[in-house]
Amino acid sequence: MSNRSVPAKRASKDALFRICGKGVDKLLLVALLGSVCLFVLYPILCILMRSLRGGEGLSLAAYETVWSQYRVNLWNSVFVGTLTAAFCTILSTATALFLSTRKGWAKLLCMGLLLVTMVSPPFVSSLAYIQLYGRRGWITYRLLGLSWDPYNCWGVIWMQSISFVPLNALFLTGMLSKLDPGSLQAARDLGAGPGAILRDVVLPLLRPGIWVSLLLSFVRSLADFGTPVIIGGRFSTIASEIYLQLVGYSNLEKASAMNMFLLLPSIAAFFLYRHLMRQADLMTGNGRGTQAQLPLQLRRCGPAGLLAAGVSLLFFVMMILQYGCIFLSGFLKLSKGSYSFTTKYLEELLKYDTSTLLRSVEYALVVSLAGTLFAMLFSYYMERRKVPGRSLFDCLVTLPYMLPGTCFGIGYILAFNHEPLKLTGTAVIVMANMLFKQLPTTTKICSAALTQVPVSLERAARDLGGGQFAVLRDVILPSLRPAFFSCFAYNFSSSMTTAGAILFLINPGKKLAVFKLFDAVYVGEYATASLISTILILIVLAMEGLAYLITWKEAKPRVS
Amino acid sequence: MYLELSHLKKNFGDKEVVQDLSLSLEQGKLLCILGSSGCGKTTTLNMIGGFLTPDGGSILLDGQDITRLPPERRPVTTVFQSYGLFPHMTVLQNVVYGLKFRSCTKSQAREKGLRYLDMVGLSDYANARIHEISGGQQQRVALARALIVEPKLCLLDEPFCNLDAALRVKMRGELKKLQQELGITMVFVTHDQEEALILADSMAIMEQGRLIQNDTPMQIYRHPANQFVSDFLSLDELVWTEDGVLMKVIKR
Repeated sequence: MSNRSVPAKRASKDALFRICGKGVDKLLLVALLGSVCLFVLYPILCILMRSLRGGEGLSLAAYETVWSQYRVNLWNSVFVGTLTAAFCTILSTATALFLSTRKGWAKLLCMGLLLVTMVSPPFVSSLAYIQLYGRRGWITYRLLGLSWDPYNCWGVIWMQSISFVPLNALFLTGMLSKLDPGSLQAARDLGAGPGAILRDVVLPLLRPGIWVSLLLSFVRSLADFGTPVIIGGRFSTIASEIYLQLVGYSNLEKASAMNMFLLLPSIAAFFLYRHLMRQADLMTGNGRGTQAQLPLQLRRCGPAGLLAAGVSLLFFVMMILQYGCIFLSGFLKLSKGSYSFTTKYLEELLKYDTSTLLRSVEYALVVSLAGTLFAMLFSYYMERRKVPGRSLFDCLVTLPYMLPGTCFGIGYILAFNHEPLKLTGTAVIVMANMLFKQLPTTTKICSAALTQVPVSLERAARDLGGGQFAVLRDVILPSLRPAFFSCFAYNFSSSMTTAGAILFLINPGKKLAVFKLFDAVYVGEYATASLISTILILIVLAMEGLAYLITWKEAKPRVS
Repeated sequence: MYLELSHLKKNFGDKEVVQDLSLSLEQGKLLCILGSSGCGKTTTLNMIGGFLTPDGGSILLDGQDITRLPPERRPVTTVFQSYGLFPHMTVLQNVVYGLKFRSCTKSQAREKGLRYLDMVGLSDYANARIHEISGGQQQRVALARALIVEPKLCLLDEPFCNLDAALRVKMRGELKKLQQELGITMVFVTHDQEEALILADSMAIMEQGRLIQNDTPMQIYRHPANQFVSDFLSLDELVWTEDGVLMKVIKR
């Protein structure tokens, strides 16, 4: 009797669990989709509505004002954006080709350098620019004895080009590693020399990626306000003008109307981007496997190959100069025309600003944990379950990727500055903004990991008696472990270094390290700025290293 | 002999993948290299194609030593296992690509390309993209692309392994017909015994980097060199009549 009641009890417990599981499942889905609507769609709609709100009803008055008053800024933005996109893409393509055709320590070193650049706070290159090439720059003034004014649009273009390279170069390198080695072999076999292979096969296959790089750099240049504010001098773009209007004059109306001029091209760019990414997948055979090295010798590829090698070397030399300068200048003191070593700045920084650094780390940790969980659940529902309106939500969640940070930030102010959702001034709005700004990348990482899990595994779990909830707990989440760590690291590094989107959301009493950095650069405390950059880079690198170590250890075959 | 491999050797690390391999082939004939996976057959093919440099031995083709020539300068083309078609070009552009490096005008190339497409039965697909056509059609594009440059030797690396059984039989017949019509010398690598017996003028059986037997299919069928060859070809299950009909015995 008692023997039989035990399984019966278990069965009823399971049934209860299954019913609860079903409820939780639905609730979770609604919560996920609801928050995407609230934190992505709603803020964007708010900007749109606000910009159309004239004195009475709907009007285009705000647009007309901006168009007539800020046409120069608009033109400047387009000018800088176009040139930056072109320069940056040339640099990125060359760097990617160089990296893909290399192996061994040189490649590792260059990859490491790119990683450092990836995780650097956004103002680092401007800071280094002033220190190296400024009025009293190490190279221009002390080495060459020049006296020139570095604050102009060319500095902006050059610095933007350089700082957007890592992301594009890594993307292109990834694409190159997925090229079908058969195509390259076949070309050689038919008589094509290295130069012809580069021209006829490699570059055409890379074309969608090159367009993506152009597009991304253009949009990022449009959105970047930090570089023109710091080294633009009297040259100003629409993004830097938005910063000025908002921080200088607190003029929300004007700022949101100007934002529309950023928002519309970004949304257009976004749809173009999705189209190009599909093309890219087609060219690389939907990721049929990767190869460590492209079987091509750049120096044998004729002028184009030599150019690529030269340009990428130039880039890496500039990067080494840049980071050498940043790391050194926090510890150097100038007295009587000569430099000496000092820890004065470090001591001052640690005395007054530890709380800011700790707050940055704290925020980043919260965002990483919440963001990663959100991304994992969201991508599961999108990839594996028939959610109505799937493509719409997929599109919505990717939208912030192309959205200028200032747009996204102002959208949040407009959306959450009144009851019942008054969040402005709180930590929640800052973290939510970080989370949803980073969600496009994290959901992508998780989706990619999920496609590696065969559907049969899920079916097996259900077949053996597990409900939806059990599938999630026993199959999906465990197989997403590696994705968890890479998402976490990504979230963490972006949260530590992001500036654009949350600049307008942060409570002045609760600054984050990036803003201390921005202030320090702005007022000319370069030593302090260099130190903050160094510390931020080290913290982020430590976290990335930890995540890498954990995944690497788990990937190793277990010996029993 | 037209093609002569003598004492070819290749090591990967301390593993001898090909050991002292000597083979020869007459002009216009088809040689099948047969063996289980890992026996060194693809490595041998890659050495003939120029994608690997042998650690010892030499390769002579039509009296010319091509052992150290890079692939782009060898009069040899390959049909790759994965086809290696260019996804950014149309079918016709793929086929005529090799003519770019031989003195040939654009209109000549186009004309010749269309002729070869017709030969493999794909004239209607000249302007299609690679991802728009089926696996069997891709196979034919790869074949036409390799043959159009009129190579002295054409190499095929398990070309039919991505096709289903029925299509494989059909393609096998078409390949043999094309090879005889054009009089092209071919080296064909496969692990499919039936395919080898039917296609080959000459058959080479490899095991663990060594050549076990090299003869005409009929000779091998009649006098297998050892038990391994007999087992590998499942000769117990085959009946080959004198008029060339090969029958497979399936026991229940």
